Amino acid sequence: MGGIRYFDIRHVQGRSTTIDIDNGVVEAASESYFDHAVIRSLSGKGWGIVLVDNFQERGDTATEALISEADSISVLTGEEVFLADPVGGFTPVPAMKEDPRDVGLQEKTGLLRELEQSARIPEIVNTRANYTERIEEVRFRDSSGFEKSYEICRSGFGIMAVASRNGTLQMGYERKHTIRGLNIRHQQDLALTAANRAVALLDALPARGGSMQVVLDPELAGVFAHEAVGHASEGDLVQEGSSVLAGRIGERLGSPVVTIIDDPSLPEFGFEPFDAEGSAGCRTPIIEKGVVANYLHSRETLAAIGHGASGHARAMAGEPPLVRMSNTFIEAGDSSLEEILAECRQGILLKGSRGGQVDPGRGVFQFNAEYGYLIEGGECTRMVRDVSLSGEILKTLFSIRLCGNERLMHQGYCGKGGQSVPVSDGAPHVLLSDAVVGGSGSH
Amino acid sequence: MEVIEDILREGTRLVGEIEVYLVEGQSVSLELRRTTVSRAVESRNFVLSIRTIDQGRIGNSSTSNPAAWRQCLEASVASGRLASPQNWAGLPSEGRDGGAPLSYDPSLKPDPALLSGILNDMVEGASHYPVDVTSGGASISIDRISLANSNGLLFERCRSLVSASIETICSQSTGSEFENSWTIDFDPMAIGNRAGFLAAESRHGKEIETGNFDVILSPLAGAQLIGTVLIPSLSGRNVHAGRSRFVQSLGGEVIDPAISITDDPLLVSGLRSTRWDAEGTLTRPVPFIREGVLEAFAYDLKTGYRYGKESTGSAVRSGPGGAPAIGAHNIIIEGLQSGVMDEPAVYIQDVVGAHTANPFSGDFSVELTNPFFVEGGVYQSPVRKAMISGNVFEMLRDVAGIGNDTRIIGSLVLPSIRLKQMHIIGDER
Repeated sequence: MGGIRYFDIRHVQGRSTTIDIDNGVVEAASESYFDHAVIRSLSGKGWGIVLVDNFQERGDTATEALISEADSISVLTGEEVFLADPVGGFTPVPAMKEDPRDVGLQEKTGLLRELEQSARIPEIVNTRANYTERIEEVRFRDSSGFEKSYEICRSGFGIMAVASRNGTLQMGYERKHTIRGLNIRHQQDLALTAANRAVALLDALPARGGSMQVVLDPELAGVFAHEAVGHASEGDLVQEGSSVLAGRIGERLGSPVVTIIDDPSLPEFGFEPFDAEGSAGCRTPIIEKGVVANYLHSRETLAAIGHGASGHARAMAGEPPLVRMSNTFIEAGDSSLEEILAECRQGILLKGSRGGQVDPGRGVFQFNAEYGYLIEGGECTRMVRDVSLSGEILKTLFSIRLCGNERLMHQGYCGKGGQSVPVSDGAPHVLLSDAVVGGSGSH
Repeated sequence: MEVIEDILREGTRLVGEIEVYLVEGQSVSLELRRTTVSRAVESRNFVLSIRTIDQGRIGNSSTSNPAAWRQCLEASVASGRLASPQNWAGLPSEGRDGGAPLSYDPSLKPDPALLSGILNDMVEGASHYPVDVTSGGASISIDRISLANSNGLLFERCRSLVSASIETICSQSTGSEFENSWTIDFDPMAIGNRAGFLAAESRHGKEIETGNFDVILSPLAGAQLIGTVLIPSLSGRNVHAGRSRFVQSLGGEVIDPAISITDDPLLVSGLRSTRWDAEGTLTRPVPFIREGVLEAFAYDLKTGYRYGKESTGSAVRSGPGGAPAIGAHNIIIEGLQSGVMDEPAVYIQDVVGAHTANPFSGDFSVELTNPFFVEGGVYQSPVRKAMISGNVFEMLRDVAGIGNDTRIIGSLVLPSIRLKQMHIIGDER
């Protein structure tokens, strides 16, 4: 291995638990086990990478053989890769209030059953609840002698209720995921919220499409930050030339009320003690008072294009690291929701999220609200359904006129390059002027 | 394999029936950053899934460590104890897997040199347009799948997959193209060329006024929307759970009579072809919708036994270690072909955000990718930015035409579809 200038090994093993209750039937209550490793090597030019399952059974000799294997396939690469120095440090995994491992699968199944039953109200034809729990033991070491490990448990639930009337189906959905321990006790009210929303949506009107003033709730405004700005700030996309934010550090892209942060050290669902290449994450302003401040980086992309800090390389177990968001949010401002609605006067309040997507090179994003309300004379009036919003990254931040004074975070998973990682997004209520809303109705 | 025999022997002492599903695979991939290979990746994967059934209680577990099979077996049995009991009439026992392998090229090897050639050709194809390549990749994977159960069934098969993709940019105009196949039967130069065309020709797009337009969904755009909404509605489980729009529709006309939808697991060119499904039921074509009329839903053993229906061989496993569940093999959407681009329309290459469509109501509003005004069979001019709103179920009730450009997109096999008077929202600011 004489020619190898760098290698690292990220080994993740653990256990995942899934419970699925569908219309009162326990479809699954199961535990599975995984053991994956990623071995990366740099010698001449680019990365040679080997992915293997069942790594724990291998000894030192076999591990050396895997490093050599990674090195030997790296000859196929042509791009010379340099690495910025890692950021030292480690944020301890926050303590859990109730460790899910101390609660048996049978008890968890019972708790989830209570939750699922709470969503059964008139006109609800289907209720489905799921619980997931994933305990990962992560060990990282590299050729510099750095070695660190941690264990983290991510768990949570989702509850879906489907309402039906005269052949029309509508859905209400609530979810909560956390790194702070078991969270499925006493959640019946949330299940009822999902059910009530599904029923209410049967009477909701399709929204009118077009440009209008829009108020986003904290969940949706968080998705907005994630899709409209977060992805385009990822250093790998900037480096390869497929982000409209390339070359715009220091440029004003929004009003001074807008500050957008990504922070992997925040004890939220996207938390990482250190990233997938051993670098400690930190609070990274992407947009600071309307100005492009930093990109998100791995050690490689930081060395290549600068402007920011490493600590944003993340990976699914057994997959190579990619530059990813973690906990992304719009900083709170000083407006109350009443002030935001009054300022909006005529428009639409959008709530809840069914996800979104972005084309960062073209600079266009889309995201979808579960439901909303028309705003007429500064008051929320009729409920509307199936509303999407699209926009252009380089213009959209200028349309943020007010930010609310209370930020809330919501949990989810983000997909990129075939990998899905846990994230949280958050924001206060946000007022957008001239947003393009997709809808086929006349209201 | 010895481990399968050990598990079956031990499992039958503990439960009524047991099933073992084992996947061993290897793959190689090369990834481009701009026009240079930046990462070379080899992988070897292993996953062992165990399903146990005892008095109608179904349990499952999986592991990536073959030596830990006893832990996995115990977890499956424990899982079954918590599951609700249901009607169950046994795992399949028929054990013959005749015929040539499907979705598998035995001559294909995970050879990085093949991938270098594919990448070079894609980059050259893109270079015919004034665009920059931003990223791309090519991979070959080969899996060996074994399925055995305590009723004496033992199936083994291999599958191969070759993937190639490339992304391009020209100013702020992007293009991308890809192909997946079980063998190298595609033209990488054409993939690059198409990605280059889309980025280059989408520049200087014209604004479009909000209104209703005839549109043409490319196979990719159609697969995104139909795959999110329509296909889950054909699942017997969703139907019986009340989660499908088609709950009361069997025997009725649910889409335009010009269209038929069939799942053909035996399709020679299919990506997901197989002679037996994920729990060993022999597969056959399942005509879900024939000339607009809904004729069948998809069932696996569990849902079939529960509701007194026969399995349609529709069990698939989603993700490593996943338990069998109702899914799709090769869903073919077809009808009488016509010149869909002859009359004026908006052609939609792809959409942004198809996964946000409402899977139950069918409503969607998504952003368009590479939209063009078309007429007389040719692209006229690009549209700068627009959204489209509608309902997947409603839009398929009155289709204006079916193209002759059938393409395989994952588990869907479909042509371009021309739709009448869809609502498009322009950027009117």
